[in-house]
Amino acid sequence: MKGRFPRRRLIQTVAANLVRLVFGSAARNWGRNIGSTAPALGSMTLLLVMSGLVGLTGFALHNLEVVQAREASLLHVYLRDDAADPDVVALWNRLSSDPRIAGVTYVSKADALARAHTIPGLPELANASESNPFPASLDVQVKSINDVGAIDAVARTERVVDPLNPTSYDRGAYQRIQAILFGIAVAGFAFVGLLGFVAVTVTMNSIKAAILSRRDEITIMQLVGAPRWMVRGPFVVEGAITGALAGIVAGAVTFGLAMSGIAAGSQSFTQFAPGVTTTVAAVAAAIVIGAGLGLGSGSSLLSMRRHMES
Amino acid sequence: MRPLETERPPIVELIGVSRAYGLRHAVDAIDLALHPGELTLLVGPSGAGKTTLLKLINREIRPTGGEVWVAGIAAHRLKSSHVAELRRRVGVVFQDYKLLPRLNALENVAFGLQVGDLRISDAEARDRSLDALEAVGLGDRGGAFPHQLSGGQQQRVAIARAVVAQPPLLIADEPTGNLDQETAWEIMDLFEDIAAWGTAVLVATHNVEIVTRLKRRVVTLVDGRLVRDQPAGKTGRMAWLASS
Repeated sequence: MKGRFPRRRLIQTVAANLVRLVFGSAARNWGRNIGSTAPALGSMTLLLVMSGLVGLTGFALHNLEVVQAREASLLHVYLRDDAADPDVVALWNRLSSDPRIAGVTYVSKADALARAHTIPGLPELANASESNPFPASLDVQVKSINDVGAIDAVARTERVVDPLNPTSYDRGAYQRIQAILFGIAVAGFAFVGLLGFVAVTVTMNSIKAAILSRRDEITIMQLVGAPRWMVRGPFVVEGAITGALAGIVAGAVTFGLAMSGIAAGSQSFTQFAPGVTTTVAAVAAAIVIGAGLGLGSGSSLLSMRRHMES
Repeated sequence: MRPLETERPPIVELIGVSRAYGLRHAVDAIDLALHPGELTLLVGPSGAGKTTLLKLINREIRPTGGEVWVAGIAAHRLKSSHVAELRRRVGVVFQDYKLLPRLNALENVAFGLQVGDLRISDAEARDRSLDALEAVGLGDRGGAFPHQLSGGQQQRVAIARAVVAQPPLLIADEPTGNLDQETAWEIMDLFEDIAAWGTAVLVATHNVEIVTRLKRRVVTLVDGRLVRDQPAGKTGRMAWLASS
């Protein structure tokens, strides 16, 4: 029991010195150097906002791809209006017994009309006609997207199938979507990469300016035997402060824009940005703040490796 | 009875130390030992290698040949990540004082103490810094900022900062270079006091009067080579003056 109190006091002393000499010094110097830090703060904020939005877009595109893949492997086989029920059942049986098919669902004309009302643009078309223009169908869920073409070839020759518009199969549609999404992803990464390079360079330069302006202090610290981490610590913290501030602003902007989209609740938003919810927006904002911290302190470390002698 | 200086193990030992920059040798095959309580003057013309020698001892640079031992630490093979351990054993004084302008005298001394050892509390740092300032005759000027102090007083603060952690070795690079002769003597008196406490003190200087009148050990460098190691109590020729 006797030895515990001094040990606790020692820890308190070390912690107090650490806070004052590393964090306090960094905060004071950050405030003093705000002029040279401002460009870094601005470029980093811009980068993080763009990264947040690109990240959310990437998440939405990934979900969109999943949805598209699911939809592309769902083949609608449209039935003639005058198709006899036994013939439809026979086709249903044949398709259901095919090992390449996961399931077959019958969709009546009334069901098709109800579904059309949930798809943007189609309610107007439905209301324009006095009769129900949507055909009944067998919705065939194919196990592999690669087999959809073969199932389509079998289904479209059936007597009960509408000869004018036999199925929903669109050869190469999924591949086209994938190509477009890949292109968007590459462009997004290139853009963020370019912005990242600019932000890191500007931040490194601002830390370089801070190092040069405090050369005497650094020299003194090194000569009195301050450990290397303690000499470098305040600069890392300064970079982290810049990054954290940029991250907080960018995180707020990212979250705000995503929430505006969600709050607007437009069908086009949910259609083109599936899966983007409040939770996803909050996680994206948190990641942006973390990225800001990492970017700021990482840039400082890089700058110190280049510009600070040991 | 106090043992002779040469009987005590040296604080600094240089064995065949060289430092080359390209083809030019800033210091060349230097052998030198400094003992506790010894005040040594390092003299020589400009470019003779005095500052290089001090930097080698403080491990600001590595030798290209030979061995540098400081307080039992092999500075010649010390990794950058461990240099701080050596620096805590060496006090350093510069010609331009290198005080932080936004800190007062007491804070400058305490800063040097606490960044070197985080375990020292504010109260302890303050007490020890005050003691150091009193030792250099500035006990009543702790609250003064550097711009409020004369050159000699600023150098005293720098000396207080260098010795506050009680290092076994103090090195000074032209510490009187910016001071008038009277103040320079006061500073040299301080170095003598510090040596008397048992600290090895190495002072690089151009001040001929100090060198001739002080009658301390004088190590002379010319063109990077140690050309003369004159023991304390003797007065030698200042041949190097001809080329300075």
